Amino acid sequence: MSRSRKALLLAAWLATVATLGWVVDRRLVVGMDLRLFMPSPRTPQERLILETVGEGPASRMLLLAISGADPEAVADTSRALADALRKTREFRMVANGETSFEAVPDSLLAYRYVLSPLLDNETIDADFLRGQLEERVRDLASPAAGLLEPWLPRDPTLELMTLVETWLPARQPQLLNDVWFDASGREALLIAETHAPGFDPQGQRVAADSLQRAFEAVRTDSSLRLEASGPGAFSVLMQERTQGEAQWFGGLATVGMVVLLLVAYRSVPVLLLGLLPLVSAGVAGLATVGVIFGTVHGITLAFGFTLIGVAQDYPMHLFSHQHRGLDPRANARALWPTLSTGVASTCVAYLAFLFSGVRGLAQLSVFTVAGLAVAGLTTRFLLPPLVPERGRDAAESAALGSLWRAIASLPRPRWLGIAAALMCIGVVWLSPRPLWENELGGLTPVPRPLIERDAALRHELGAPDIRHLLVIEGRDAQSVLASASALDPQLESFVTRGSLGGFNHPARYLPTTAVQERRRAALPAPDELRAALETALPATPFKPGVFEPFLADVDRARHLPALGPANVAGTPLEALVGGLLLERDGHWIGLVTLTGVQDPEGLAELARSTRNMALLDLKQASEDLVAHQRERILWCLAASAVLLVIVVFVALRDWSRVRRVLAPMALTTLVVLGMLHAAGVSFSLFHLIALVLAAGLGLDYALFFERAADDPSEQRRTLHAVIVCSLSTLMVFALLAFSTLPVLRAIGITVAAGVVSNFVLALLLTRPPEPSDDAR
Amino acid sequence: MTSGLFVRLFLRLAVACLASATTTLHSAEPGLDALLARLARPAPDTTSFVEVRYSSLLETPIVVSGRLEHRQDGSLVRRVDSPYREVTELRGESVSVEREGSKPRHFSLNRAPELRGMLASFSAILQGDREMLDRYFVVALQGTDARWEITLVPRDAKLKRRLARITVNGADDRPRCFILEEPDEDASLMVIGVERPDDLPQPLDQKALTAWCAADTMP
Repeated sequence: MSRSRKALLLAAWLATVATLGWVVDRRLVVGMDLRLFMPSPRTPQERLILETVGEGPASRMLLLAISGADPEAVADTSRALADALRKTREFRMVANGETSFEAVPDSLLAYRYVLSPLLDNETIDADFLRGQLEERVRDLASPAAGLLEPWLPRDPTLELMTLVETWLPARQPQLLNDVWFDASGREALLIAETHAPGFDPQGQRVAADSLQRAFEAVRTDSSLRLEASGPGAFSVLMQERTQGEAQWFGGLATVGMVVLLLVAYRSVPVLLLGLLPLVSAGVAGLATVGVIFGTVHGITLAFGFTLIGVAQDYPMHLFSHQHRGLDPRANARALWPTLSTGVASTCVAYLAFLFSGVRGLAQLSVFTVAGLAVAGLTTRFLLPPLVPERGRDAAESAALGSLWRAIASLPRPRWLGIAAALMCIGVVWLSPRPLWENELGGLTPVPRPLIERDAALRHELGAPDIRHLLVIEGRDAQSVLASASALDPQLESFVTRGSLGGFNHPARYLPTTAVQERRRAALPAPDELRAALETALPATPFKPGVFEPFLADVDRARHLPALGPANVAGTPLEALVGGLLLERDGHWIGLVTLTGVQDPEGLAELARSTRNMALLDLKQASEDLVAHQRERILWCLAASAVLLVIVVFVALRDWSRVRRVLAPMALTTLVVLGMLHAAGVSFSLFHLIALVLAAGLGLDYALFFERAADDPSEQRRTLHAVIVCSLSTLMVFALLAFSTLPVLRAIGITVAAGVVSNFVLALLLTRPPEPSDDAR
Repeated sequence: MTSGLFVRLFLRLAVACLASATTTLHSAEPGLDALLARLARPAPDTTSFVEVRYSSLLETPIVVSGRLEHRQDGSLVRRVDSPYREVTELRGESVSVEREGSKPRHFSLNRAPELRGMLASFSAILQGDREMLDRYFVVALQGTDARWEITLVPRDAKLKRRLARITVNGADDRPRCFILEEPDEDASLMVIGVERPDDLPQPLDQKALTAWCAADTMP
């Protein structure tokens, strides 16, 4: 090929990649919702679990702690921060223990007699009013006078205060300086509910920034510290750390890779050409995912590039086999049967994830399959014309020759392999520990100390249990609210028995229309109320006529329509009710949050005996979901393993060759499984992906070693290629093994161990037993 | 015991004199520091009181009596014994009011600025703390050592909206009346060292009572 045609080819290739890359960059939306990597729900209940995991009130809740100064300054900061956060758009509810009448808008004020339980047990008559007014006289003589006096003409029964107190959490931390404090009295505690779901790291990121800004604005002392905990805070933290470490490791790996390739091929053009298939693979993979899914998840992006790193091996095989006198195109043609078998079988393995039922994994599968296919095809058809013909011949290396001979002379007892396989199966089989990690949380792992701190804060705040939840379903909001309030006596008895710390449901804030109407009907008529007041008043020092605003308010309340979920928007009730009463596709769901659950069995019994209600054990349910999901993925993997054997058989057409090619990979998978399990690792989805990646690499090594057969020059070139490939892969994943993030570490350790094992086993197991061995 | 108290008072006086000598230029009333030093009562200290509260909502004022307790830890307790029982505890920033037959009420001084002002004047006078007085109020002193009147006008705008003025009347080294006037007609008048409402001149008219506090005659 002439120089100009080469240049043209290179230019066209680069232009295509650049154009496609530009389009992808412009059009592709990167999503961050971690639930994309969670199992997809099959039943309405499972859907609710996932929604609750990501969107429920517990998941949106940030637990805040302010400390670092004397309690007065800390309390002042708590108040100022709460005020500031209430003004931001990112938070829909902020509570710090303060009860403020000012928070109740005028529109809701008139509803106070309908929302408060007062009229359930009392009638507003002369006797009742006299008792109330006597109390108010005493209030006026108490130090609270200044606080209450402005409200008295309008609200002599202080119903508003009762109401605001009802809206506080059922179980509260201690109040110091009017705000919540922990038991030691050093940290002010707050609860803030974000608008963004807990597993939306982007939304949570915005909320976290807004929180930090608000804190910086109100802090008066540089020693004051703010701590945020909860699912949202964790997802921000994990995203930051994943990105940070991925960049750091990515940078180190790139440097290492460049050095390795320069040492191996001593040519800058070769180094640069070697990157082209990988870059093409990445762009093609992204474009395919974009066309099929519209968006790509951030994790797909991160993992995807890790997985298609295998594509870097393809040009290396080409380069290592290149030597003087060999047309690179002929070289590529000769390698193609082996290379294409490797590419096809790896693609088949990743196809399994397409049918996993997890959207994120399906994306990952599409990305990897498309990427690897493109990398294989470009290495075969586009790269060879550009490769310089002259190069160092790996076959001339004496060191490689003696290394090969040393390996060839190693004893290769077949029983050792079988024994190793049996031992690994035995370790896994006989171990009392469960093989799999079943927690949904295992997918977004958070460091232990943070989880413990979260549990401590949650305990202090009496924040609802994340694990247990009663779910009420109904055709409309009213039936759900009615079922919720009907639960009160039973749940109260749980609380009295000490088997439940507390509970909370939407009807506590928003009574049913029926209850509201009953209370409204119990309100006295204007004349009646006036007469009662006039009877009560003379016995008190109050001036006649000061309670006219009260008379007007009660009269107004008698004509108000009932308050429903639709018309609490913009009031403090919206946040309180919104998280607990949800509309889903025309039917309504009410959540009863529970605190301090001691007797889940009793609650489950209660749920069973009540219509349209279920006790959700989120932990159990999510574990079931994960287990079910994994089962499905394992079946898919089994199917693709069968496909893979077929692919290899079609390529090699000889069972003994197929066996030799597959043996290292199969044995490696067993060895890595046994080793990690013995080391105390519980397997998650990420380990599975890593094992598939390692298996794909092993298959490639074995295919090439097997191909080298008995030609000493080819053996050395293959050894060179596989050493470069496995070293580069080992380097990348060994780095990941040092990550502080469990997910990255899991992948790093699994693949690094897999590469070493695959390399060694492929060398030992793929070559046919030499005839001379038999003769001896 | 007595001599110890005497020595301490003497030392305080000495310090106060020294302080006033050095700050004469800033201090309008050099006598104030000396007075405050004489008024200081070391905690714990208990004294009886009768409080009369006037409100625009009320036709006749409310009268309660009880004891004020200044504890060692700096907290202040207001105990009402008659006509009903009620205990108010002021500790740091938080206030709790417990009355027999009803739920305890908690709130912070932050939401009751007039109470913070009242408390500041009280503590400052109990502890002889001139600095605290100056921080919250513009202070004026009238009268003689035998019959004096301290007038406190809030500096802070937020406090000013809820509290117009505090007047403290006293004789020699004992405060006698704390009068809180709010911007509206509301007011509270606390007489210290008196056991029963009957000990006050009747009827409990605000003007008459204020005049009585400032008068030369002692109950």
